[in-house]
Amino acid sequence: MFQKPVADSYDSSMNEYAHDEVETVVGPSVQVEGDFASEGNIIVKGTVSGSVKTSKLLSVEGGAKILANVKANEAIVAGQVKGNVRVTNRLELTETAQILGDVSCAVLVVAGGALIHGKLVMKGIEIQDLKPTKKRGLSRLKQSKSIEDDEEEEMGEQAE
Amino acid sequence: MPPIYLVVYFSLMYVYLYDDYLKQKKYDVTMKAIETRLTDFGIAGKIIRLQQFTNAHAVVEEEISKGATTVVIVGNDRTFGQVLSRAATCRTLFAFLPVGPENSIAEVLGIPEGVAACDVLSKRRKVRLDVGWVNNRYFISQLHIFPHNISVEYDERFSVSAKNKKMELVVCNLQPFVWEGKGKKNYIIHPQDGKLEAFLRPLEKKGLFKAQYETPSIFPFEEMVVSSATPFIMEADGKKTKELKVMIRLAKNRVEMVVGKMRRF
Repeated sequence: MFQKPVADSYDSSMNEYAHDEVETVVGPSVQVEGDFASEGNIIVKGTVSGSVKTSKLLSVEGGAKILANVKANEAIVAGQVKGNVRVTNRLELTETAQILGDVSCAVLVVAGGALIHGKLVMKGIEIQDLKPTKKRGLSRLKQSKSIEDDEEEEMGEQAE
Repeated sequence: MPPIYLVVYFSLMYVYLYDDYLKQKKYDVTMKAIETRLTDFGIAGKIIRLQQFTNAHAVVEEEISKGATTVVIVGNDRTFGQVLSRAATCRTLFAFLPVGPENSIAEVLGIPEGVAACDVLSKRRKVRLDVGWVNNRYFISQLHIFPHNISVEYDERFSVSAKNKKMELVVCNLQPFVWEGKGKKNYIIHPQDGKLEAFLRPLEKKGLFKAQYETPSIFPFEEMVVSSATPFIMEADGKKTKELKVMIRLAKNRVEMVVGKMRRF
């Protein structure tokens, strides 16, 4: 008698199932030009040029081309990207992925065959011992000094 | 002298707009049952029968001036679009009683077909819905641009075009877009997400009986401009026009509507 009506819970669960979130999809023969931004997931099957930005998942499917800088929370790349890729969390590159540009992400998953040409930066490195780099710097300085000295000597000999 | 109490009753006046097709004999039983149920609930009201050229906006405005508080559309998707495309500017509560076939909007609104819809109406669960705005008129259910060489610009930020191909454009508000391709998939549109959804399909080839389309592209947007060098045919809520340039916008929370508990948003 004093139980909660069952219909209430049923209603909320129905809403969860019924609410089919529409994603942004760029079809295979569609060309998008300009600043392409979305608050939801983006699936690219065609060509995008300009810039791509999403706060959720970006999926670049096989055969798709992005000629733009990319910013996303997560990304799965199976197509080609020409531009810098900045992913906040996880970046997954499949076998057919090709990236020409700098990549930064927190987690990187690379399948065999994926190609990257650019600088890779990942956050979270906790290597505290930075002395070797300083030493290298000093040694380089020393080396450069010695080279300069040699050059001066050579120049002096030539002048004589 | 005993105190005098003044009691004021606020009665809700309902107006029912019946579609013309409900005159058919096969709907007699359903209509009788609906009218009886409405009388039982005490929400029966004036009945106006819509004709093909009835100006819904003028009718609704007149009834509001006479004191109508709720305008109930009785019919199907076409009736719903016909009334609300004109009457969405009217500041009143709208409701819907779906009768007969072609009632996909009612499903989204969570209103069952026939007599059961009276129960939903009596509960008066009110929700504000987004409406589409195209070239100085509203569209409620769906806007359709037939395959043509069109270019589309979204929110003044990016443009979309197909590689030397004609494109079909469908903008959905309340009526779901059904794409019958590989694995028939129904997209349910959220009428209160603050966005309209555009489905773009490049025409692959035109067969003898059926045109073949590519996988649709989907773009949620707030403002969109569709233009072409030659006139294209546009259908909004069942009304066809020829246009050269069209601006489609979102009118947020424009219509107040009675919805059911089982609504899909």
